[in-house]
Amino acid sequence: MVSLARTIRSIRRVGLKEWWHQMQYIGDAKSGTFKGKDQFGNRYFENMNPEEEIPGRHRWVDFAQHDYNATQVPPEWHAWLSHIRKDAPQEDAVVQRFTPPWKAPYIENLTGTRGAYKPYNTTAPKINAWEPKVAPRV
Amino acid sequence: MAFLKASLVGVSSARLAAARLATRNTPTSTLIARRLLSSSPSSQAKPVDPFHSQTKDYLPEPNRARSPSLDASFPGEVSDPYHGGPSAIEKAVHLFFFTEIVRGMWIVMEQFFRPPYTIMYPFEKGPLSPRFRGEHALRRYPSGEERCIACKLCEAICPAQAITIESEARLDGSRRTTRYDIDMTKCIYCGFCQEACPVDAIVETQNQEFSTETREELLYNKEKLLANGDRAEAEIAANLLSDHVYR
Repeated sequence: MVSLARTIRSIRRVGLKEWWHQMQYIGDAKSGTFKGKDQFGNRYFENMNPEEEIPGRHRWVDFAQHDYNATQVPPEWHAWLSHIRKDAPQEDAVVQRFTPPWKAPYIENLTGTRGAYKPYNTTAPKINAWEPKVAPRV
Repeated sequence: MAFLKASLVGVSSARLAAARLATRNTPTSTLIARRLLSSSPSSQAKPVDPFHSQTKDYLPEPNRARSPSLDASFPGEVSDPYHGGPSAIEKAVHLFFFTEIVRGMWIVMEQFFRPPYTIMYPFEKGPLSPRFRGEHALRRYPSGEERCIACKLCEAICPAQAITIESEARLDGSRRTTRYDIDMTKCIYCGFCQEACPVDAIVETQNQEFSTETREELLYNKEKLLANGDRAEAEIAANLLSDHVYR
């Protein structure tokens, strides 16, 4: 059971609708500053006040999809969410500088679906079946 | 010269003290000497002052007993070991009213009203290091050219022999891999491959969420590894930069 004062404070800040949404997904009333939104619509929040959020729970994501899983977070935000990077990716100069123009679109872990990765051979076969060649008759 | 002599005297006086302990052949004195060696804390140690150490002897009484003897604790008669402790009635009261259990339950109830330390996983995550070794990826140069030059050092160093590499010369003459397979079911995530790599081509990314439903999906080939690198290049490069001074 969480602190009642914290719950009431969060409800007053985020509103009843958002609180209901949080209770359906995170299962806890949280409030903090909005840090950004990724290309999939996941929203990222932060609350650095140790009185309101226990350190370690101070960054969280609100998934856009109902069928959420952890791999829906793209790598840049993953680094922020796992506390590897201090700043959100749009403010992080290093991440911005190292984003290459050939960056591939992010795909979540598709295991269990038809899009799942299947290993295949990347080399040419070493043994080929004999293809008979008939000499042209004169 | 005088300094040298004085330091010699200092050392010899310390030796003398030890020798004086050792020459007494009683077992207690040898015990004490042994304990002095092993149990003197180094925080109390002082540097030997060679000019004043002739007069100072830190062991004036070599035979001083360090612990009270057996008959000192029982002088004359047998003392009551329960003297001053709780009475039998008091103990019985605590026993019959479950006071210790109630105290334990009180602590549980205090925790019940405190905010939980649970990290709600897919929404919140515990901290990861930039050196974290997760799923592998093959990187590219900023130009888009793949880094791996098929030197096979990672294949050689891999203790689980999870990496298989075959290479061929490309049309432009550069040596590239045609096969770069990692069996992720064999991999022990030791990180030797990324340490062995001379061009920082194979790295272990911070992604730990690559669980699969079938075993087959964990047999990564070159294109899967390159795709991992293409997606996460910004994160990989930022992590390598944050750690580059320690490499």
